[in-house]
Amino acid sequence: MSVLKIKDVSKIFANGTVRAVDNFSLDVADGELVCLLGPSGSGKSTLLRMVGGFERPTSGLMIINGEDITHVPPEKRPTGMVFQSHALWTHMNVFKNLAFGLKLRKVAPDEIKRRVEGVLDLVGLGGYGTRHVAQLSGGQQQRVALARSLVLEPKILLLDEPFASLDQHLRERLREEVRDIQQRLKITTLFVTHGQDEALSMADRIVVMRDGKTEQIDRPDIVYREPQTPFVAGFIGTMNLIEGTVSNGIFSKAGYSTPLPVSDGPAILAVRPEALDLTVANDNAQGKVHRVTDYGTHGLVDLELLDSTRVKAMVSHPDLFRAGQGVRLAPKAIAAYRDNAVIHRA
Amino acid sequence: MATLVHRKTDWTGIVLAVVLTLVIVFPLIVVGTWAFTNVWRYPSVIPQEFGLRFWYQTLARADVWTSITTSLTLATTVTGISALICLPAAYAFARMDFPGRDILFFSFLAGHAFPKFGLLVAIAGIFLQLNLIGTFWGVVLIQLVGTLLFMIWIPVAAFQSVDRRMEEAARDVGAGPFRVFWSITLPQAGPTIAAAVLLSFVGTFYETEGAWLIGAPQVRTLPVLMISFINNQPVIQYGAVLSVLLWVPSFIALMFARRVVNSGSFARGFGG
Amino acid sequence: MTTIDSGHIAPVQAERRRPYGLLLVAAPVLLVVWLIIWPIISAVITTLWVQTPEGSEFSTGTYQFFFSDGYSLSNLSVTLWTTGVCAILLLLICLPIALYLRFSDSKVAGYVQGLAIFPMFVPSIILSFAFIRVLGPNGTVDLLANAMGLPKIRSPYLTAWGPVIGLVWDNIPLTVLILLSGLGNVSNQAIEAARDVGARKLQVLWYIILPRIGNSVLVAISFAVLGIFSSFTLPYVLGPAAPEMMGPFMQRTFRELFDPRNAITQAVITFGFCIVFGLFYVRSVAKNRTP
Repeated sequence: MSVLKIKDVSKIFANGTVRAVDNFSLDVADGELVCLLGPSGSGKSTLLRMVGGFERPTSGLMIINGEDITHVPPEKRPTGMVFQSHALWTHMNVFKNLAFGLKLRKVAPDEIKRRVEGVLDLVGLGGYGTRHVAQLSGGQQQRVALARSLVLEPKILLLDEPFASLDQHLRERLREEVRDIQQRLKITTLFVTHGQDEALSMADRIVVMRDGKTEQIDRPDIVYREPQTPFVAGFIGTMNLIEGTVSNGIFSKAGYSTPLPVSDGPAILAVRPEALDLTVANDNAQGKVHRVTDYGTHGLVDLELLDSTRVKAMVSHPDLFRAGQGVRLAPKAIAAYRDNAVIHRA
Repeated sequence: MATLVHRKTDWTGIVLAVVLTLVIVFPLIVVGTWAFTNVWRYPSVIPQEFGLRFWYQTLARADVWTSITTSLTLATTVTGISALICLPAAYAFARMDFPGRDILFFSFLAGHAFPKFGLLVAIAGIFLQLNLIGTFWGVVLIQLVGTLLFMIWIPVAAFQSVDRRMEEAARDVGAGPFRVFWSITLPQAGPTIAAAVLLSFVGTFYETEGAWLIGAPQVRTLPVLMISFINNQPVIQYGAVLSVLLWVPSFIALMFARRVVNSGSFARGFGG
Repeated sequence: MTTIDSGHIAPVQAERRRPYGLLLVAAPVLLVVWLIIWPIISAVITTLWVQTPEGSEFSTGTYQFFFSDGYSLSNLSVTLWTTGVCAILLLLICLPIALYLRFSDSKVAGYVQGLAIFPMFVPSIILSFAFIRVLGPNGTVDLLANAMGLPKIRSPYLTAWGPVIGLVWDNIPLTVLILLSGLGNVSNQAIEAARDVGARKLQVLWYIILPRIGNSVLVAISFAVLGIFSSFTLPYVLGPAAPEMMGPFMQRTFRELFDPRNAITQAVITFGFCIVFGLFYVRSVAKNRTP
């Protein structure tokens, strides 16, 4: 049973012809955490704001629990949004920030107190009710923003890059906390981010977006291992994308060739650095080492094919390689794309 | 390891501070002294007798009380009307889109492209035909025009600086548009708007030129009365007491509006 | 869920430009049109088209009178002189203060800034009274001079210097604030870089700082000129009875001589003399502000 259903939604902003969101559809199941992942301008934030009711779709339908909410204003939707800039009301203290929505719902004062304190405990801010927003650290402010949404027990929690303004360390801690809380409350969540780490570590499913369209919707491990398009392949993790041609079952690009059992024509060969073995070769070299970086646990070799196409390879013994050396490439796992779709995977 | 950082004495600052104190504070102290002086005859450097005698005498004068009432009524009326028409307009400029928005926004600068008293004379020419010269409402109108720019531009900046996301967050938890304005936008923009209203009140209270040109002698505000005291009143203390009384609103404004005035945005409002 | 799954496409909602905004801004805008724009147009028209029994006819009579009348011309020239002297004095006084405030971090700077802004909170009528009590005949300066056995000063009260001193005093705060805001655009790095290549303090001022605050200086001057050229209270109270500045002159022509036509002619002439400064000032303010 899907809690949220987005059907053929498009958004064209009044001033231009740009389709910020282009014929987008998605079903989110009860208790699921779905990440909208994409570069800036991919339409993911616009989509989230449409679910929250802050933008109106140009066309399409939004359905929550079987109810068409496409044209329902934000204050009447069962959604709760956590903003990137936390958007806490600085003229109220923490308690009042949380209580505002409950007061609007005419909840009894002692019930408000009980629920606010409960949620503050949940986000680890028990006893912070009387604090002023300005007295809190960035991480605490974001926790209050989360609590402000949770206290109203929304059907769907919307998170718009909630950790973008925090430092790396805090970001990692908060995303674990949010994931814990989300799983404990089993609250359906839509999460927007441009950070692949965040998406991979938190999501039940990832929606990769580009130019307002869906590129791929899958579980994180599948998105990583089996990207459906060259864009997804390049966006998630590090991926060597080599554009070349296939003839008679052989893919070739500037002196490098490898068997590829597909029909003749152009193709993009995708190889992860960790799936690319290198051997030193003085004769018949396919590429030349450009730089070797030693990370301690492993090494990274930057190399150039004969036409200067850059390729990265992860090696376990970086001391075997030095700049200027000739190498041969032996990919262990490859994928090939043509016309924006997978044509081969091995 | 006992290296004490010796700050160089700031001689420039000290010289400037002393000179400015002499030029700016000293004359006002002289006025203050005169207000609390019963007898001060030349050539004594300090008054022969301090006292409150002239406070009683000044406050016993009917024209002083009439002026105080007139000034307070005028300033309250003008500020009230100004807030009533300017604050909704400021909100519209800050948050709505309508045809001609930019040109209308800058139209409030028109009054500042001309020397003020010349403009007042030109307006007085119009008021002459409308029989508004020498009337309370004539003075209200001319002072109202003087408040428009501040009462629109400062609140517009205040409304614009309210984070849109804050308002959206309030919508999100269930507040309707009017409730959002009342509970979020207004409290957020409140302090700056209050400063604008205060500045407008004080500015109207001290407005002399329009009141003198349009209102005098029928409508006598405190500054207008002060001019006649300076011109025709041989008792110095009357003017001194009135000066101290007159300065009270300024003092209040000084307390509250200092932060707004010191902030860079205020000077930028003047084109700095 | 199948009930709604039939999937109809919602109609395209055109983004409507609602005219409510126009309604909200109507009152102040109409006031500006009625009490600023119309009076200016009307002033030009009423002084150039004379009502005669046969209808109205074009005439520059009042302007010819102004520019041939010795008294009017001396009033104009004393106004120009006062404005010029005030503008120069303001720059000479306020630029050092602003420079000091921009580059000093000592505790004294806060006090100096407070003092420089303080006149903003002193209405000019109180200033006039204080001026007379300090610099007027038998004023405090005379008292102190007498106590030290010095002769009395020649009081600037009721001379052309009276308004100059008062107007400069009154205009210090905004001039300092505008210059200070302009100096905020000169980065410390730019100055350190100049010092690094060997520029001395005066050279830094001349080659680095002044070129960058040129616009702010012009804005400050324009603002001061607009305020001083048609100032009324200070010249009326502190200045001589004749020749008088344009402000008191216009007021007397209007209220005491009951000659609005000539008064408005004088107003239009002050507009003419200030139009360049006015337009420059408005342009600078507008440039700094996006609606």
